[in-house]
Amino acid sequence: MKKTINIPLGSQHISLLEPVRFKFECENEKIISVDSDVGFVHRGIERACTTKFKFDAIGYVVARVCGLCAITHSLSYTAAVEKLLGGEITKKAKYLRILLLELDRIHSHMLCLSHTCENAGFEAMFMRIMGDRELVMEIQELLTGNRVQFDYINIGGVNRDINSEVAKKIIENLYEVKQRVLGYMDEFTNNWSLSLKFKGIGALSLDDAYSFNAIGPLARASGLNIDVRNEIDYLPFNEIGFKMQTQFEGDINARNIVRLNEIFNSILMCENIVNGLPEGEIFTKLKGKPNGEAIVRFEAPRGELMYYVKGNGSAMLERVRIKTPTFACIPAFTHIFVGENYADAPAILASFDPCLSCTAK
Amino acid sequence: MFDLKKYRKKSPWILHYNAGSCNGCDIEILASLAPKYDLERFGVINTGNPKQSDIFLVTGPVTYRSRERLVELYTQMPEPKVVIAVGSCTCTGGVFRDMYNVEDGIDRYIPVDVYIAGCAVSPELIIDGVVKALEILEKKSKEMEKALKLFKEATSENGVINRRNVALKVGEVHEEN
Repeated sequence: MKKTINIPLGSQHISLLEPVRFKFECENEKIISVDSDVGFVHRGIERACTTKFKFDAIGYVVARVCGLCAITHSLSYTAAVEKLLGGEITKKAKYLRILLLELDRIHSHMLCLSHTCENAGFEAMFMRIMGDRELVMEIQELLTGNRVQFDYINIGGVNRDINSEVAKKIIENLYEVKQRVLGYMDEFTNNWSLSLKFKGIGALSLDDAYSFNAIGPLARASGLNIDVRNEIDYLPFNEIGFKMQTQFEGDINARNIVRLNEIFNSILMCENIVNGLPEGEIFTKLKGKPNGEAIVRFEAPRGELMYYVKGNGSAMLERVRIKTPTFACIPAFTHIFVGENYADAPAILASFDPCLSCTAK
Repeated sequence: MFDLKKYRKKSPWILHYNAGSCNGCDIEILASLAPKYDLERFGVINTGNPKQSDIFLVTGPVTYRSRERLVELYTQMPEPKVVIAVGSCTCTGGVFRDMYNVEDGIDRYIPVDVYIAGCAVSPELIIDGVVKALEILEKKSKEMEKALKLFKEATSENGVINRRNVALKVGEVHEEN
């Protein structure tokens, strides 16, 4: 007689924002094997980039790969095309790009934290974090004109300038966010009922993180020093106070603490940018058509995002390849589930902060 | 006693399904349920069970993999139900139109009552759409009531229920209302 039972999670489930299906094979309460299926939202964007759109429009198309890390997608594509065209953009445009990148990281991490709380059964904390997240969304709307899909980055610079009123509002709101996040730090480290669901659950060891090729906050929570912002020199992250955040436990709690620390670091970077913004133009016109190959890497809120662009001197590109962070993390995900209780599965899944529309494209 | 017609409008439950969108509209739906916009003040609760929900919020152009799931969820919802298409790509396909794995818009497969445009939609528009959907829900439940009224209410005399003259003529309900 068969002793295990199969439990499906998804493709539609209350704890999921987007369709993904996990098949858990359980023995009593324990999960003994996991099968995942991530292809529900495949739309065919890579193909459309080479057949349907010209190269100067693709920056706005690839932003629609994912709404949460939209800015990283369009930034990576734009950086790759700028490499091929060979132009240099102004320093002010670079700083404004980092500003929006970090604001996006703050709101993405806050969404992830709130979602983890909701899946652990702490509805009040979910509401609290989502309410405070609106402060960041407000800044983004002032800066770019839209709350989620910004369409802010253009080949050659950015589309909107920042004025003194917006800068003042950014500083005010970020100060407020900082106070609120200090409150969460207290809650996440000291709250007894949250620690029941978070501490020691879903742990990933340093060796496993290394051998399963984990990236992003998942790897940094296990103590792996991996962050693309530390490795690239295209944008001046080190100038404005970037610091690597790592923890060593590797469990859900460690991932949450890494995200909270990254929010602090991002707030510091945003404040530095707004206070020391260089003078100059926000846009330089770049001429020509992309010819050749380019690879660009950036740190999305979930980990490393890689773009490969190949052009042949015409307005249509030959190939656009997108390698997304969640795709690289899936082996680590399935490894973590094994040996945990099924009741913890939604909380563990939310703590990965998976982005399936990135993965399936 | 338990008047379903009255309470359904006061507390409609939402089912949310992502049929291939970019997450932008999904996080805006979450934001509209959260404290600043607070859709829950209309009695709305986000639920994961299609068999308990009245309003179906769909995001995304329908991909081939999610198509069967979408229709399945729609058929599992009890009548009366309202479908809201959230976002440009849900209404027409938007930027994803004519991509090889995409059906252009959900109205090829299920009937849609409210269209909300925008990429990504703002929470204010989602609230507008849901309030509009509540009107449609009320209208639909009234239409359902009409079809069900084939009998009058039975009269009781001295504790004996009299069911002799309870059948209604067609159109008699309208005159009474």
